[in-house]
Amino acid sequence: MSYFLLQVLNALSFSALLMLAGLGLSLVLSMMNFINLTHGSFFLLGGYIGVQWLASGAPWWLAFPAAFVLCALTGWLLNQFPFRQFYQRPHLMQVLLTYGLSVIFADLMRWGFSADTLSPVLPQALRGGVWILGLPFPTYRLFLIVAGLALALLFWLLLDRTLWGAAIRACVQDAQIVETLGLDSRRLFAIGMALSTGLAGLGGALGAGMLSVYPGLDEEILLLALLVVVVGGLNSVRGTLLCALILGFVSTFARMWVPSFANAATLAAMLGMLLIWPRGLGGPVARQV
Amino acid sequence: MNSRPSFPLPSWLWPVLACLALLSSAAWGDPFLWRFATETLLIGCAVLSINLLIGYGGLVTLGHGAVFGFAGYAAAIASQWLGAGLPVVLLIGVLAGLLLSALMALVSMRTSELFFLVATLVAGQMVWEIAFRWRAVTGGADGLRGFPRLSLGDLPLSAPYTLMVLALILALSCWLLLRSFSRAPIGLALVGLRDQPLRMAALGYQAWRIRLAAFLAAGAATGAAGSLYPFVNQYVSPQQVHWSFSATLIIMGVIGGIRTWRGAFIGATVYLFAQTYLSSYTDRWQLLVGLIFVATVLFMPNGLAERRRKLS
Repeated sequence: MSYFLLQVLNALSFSALLMLAGLGLSLVLSMMNFINLTHGSFFLLGGYIGVQWLASGAPWWLAFPAAFVLCALTGWLLNQFPFRQFYQRPHLMQVLLTYGLSVIFADLMRWGFSADTLSPVLPQALRGGVWILGLPFPTYRLFLIVAGLALALLFWLLLDRTLWGAAIRACVQDAQIVETLGLDSRRLFAIGMALSTGLAGLGGALGAGMLSVYPGLDEEILLLALLVVVVGGLNSVRGTLLCALILGFVSTFARMWVPSFANAATLAAMLGMLLIWPRGLGGPVARQV
Repeated sequence: MNSRPSFPLPSWLWPVLACLALLSSAAWGDPFLWRFATETLLIGCAVLSINLLIGYGGLVTLGHGAVFGFAGYAAAIASQWLGAGLPVVLLIGVLAGLLLSALMALVSMRTSELFFLVATLVAGQMVWEIAFRWRAVTGGADGLRGFPRLSLGDLPLSAPYTLMVLALILALSCWLLLRSFSRAPIGLALVGLRDQPLRMAALGYQAWRIRLAAFLAAGAATGAAGSLYPFVNQYVSPQQVHWSFSATLIIMGVIGGIRTWRGAFIGATVYLFAQTYLSSYTDRWQLLVGLIFVATVLFMPNGLAERRRKLS
């Protein structure tokens, strides 16, 4: 029983991580209608920043804001060139551009941060474990669950309950009308992109303590984030959160029951969900054109 | 733009010249060149299929590498039991390609656009997972080695030059198959579905049938090419099934020009050349390939072949 509870907690912490990776991508993908395949690279970059920061001796809790700010800054720069020219282009061109960029970033990071697996030096407060019903559980994962929940709540409030969130969603529908209302759609998109990459970086920094960082993590996370956002249904933060939970639980329990084919089972589950809901969990039933 | 030559070269001349150059290399070529040309021709066949699906059908698939790699694995594994006779290998490759394409079409056809992209990506990635984890059959991360060499009856076909001629014949057949497909009524309907899906549905065309046919044609061509690929180096690796290989195939298509048939081979040659030769000069070849690719997307979105067509 307690073993089962631990697995649930494990699943929750993985879901929180997926949430963090997915939320940023969800903003770009469903709100701004831009396919950003460099999202995983920002996650990895954030992870490297977190590892370097925690090893440097600076106040440890600043590592996460630092990853957010640095990644947001990089994302903002990329928005100025070349992303901005591609917001109105077909999806294929966006896929091509951002995939090419992700290849470049992957190689640059392998160059700059070495090709080894790096683990962060965690502060005393987050190290070790707590005893839950007689079994040890890493403190860090509990911290992840709390942080993930807090951020998800914040993000949902921002997008669904503020005027700014409404404005950015309106920009996708009809940017010109939004502009006639006196809002600068280009600035809104720039902020959206910076926020999204910053969130990815933050996710990476938080996730480093659980996953470590290594070349190739960017592709893995990108795939998971894409699954969470797309299977969750575009235009729906709730769908994204729900899908992150499902994916987290399915993959944790698959790893428990069919260890060697855990990923294949998880992918099969996602594919099955896409078959049943071709427009995602929270997507509209049918929309013409 | 007005530097139009007064005697434009006919479009069939380029492939003929390329074939002649490759065939005549018997006199001056070396095994390394032949092996490189074979790989380029076989991967070029997969890019041809990508051109049909993406360029003509607007079906952006990220699972096509899995079809190529799956056919390769199927042929290599089967050759351990059935021998590596050319007809057997090709048949198994084509069947594997058809099977996986049909499955992929089945799971992705209900979706569209981004959902389609992700569905094909997930389906392809599942194949990779299986190839990567099923160590007993596929060799896992190390790939598969130690299967018989390609032959036809008693005639061995494993010499680099012979393999290249074989790949050349296959590439020409795939080219003809896919080009005929695109020019036949069904290919025109495919283009119609890309541009005006609602209008085509109103005219009574069944989208899923036409798209399935395109998937099957592409799968057959890719399967045939994929089945020969392991016999070039007597080796298959899970890398050929990974989704990044699918993305690479799209990159090649775009570098060459996604709506031209010639472009498939031009793109494959440029990419593989960059990969092979840059990697022998610098460790940062992936960076350079990425830069070349991004520059293509930014400055030449129609690719090399299309650009030339516009000029001449």
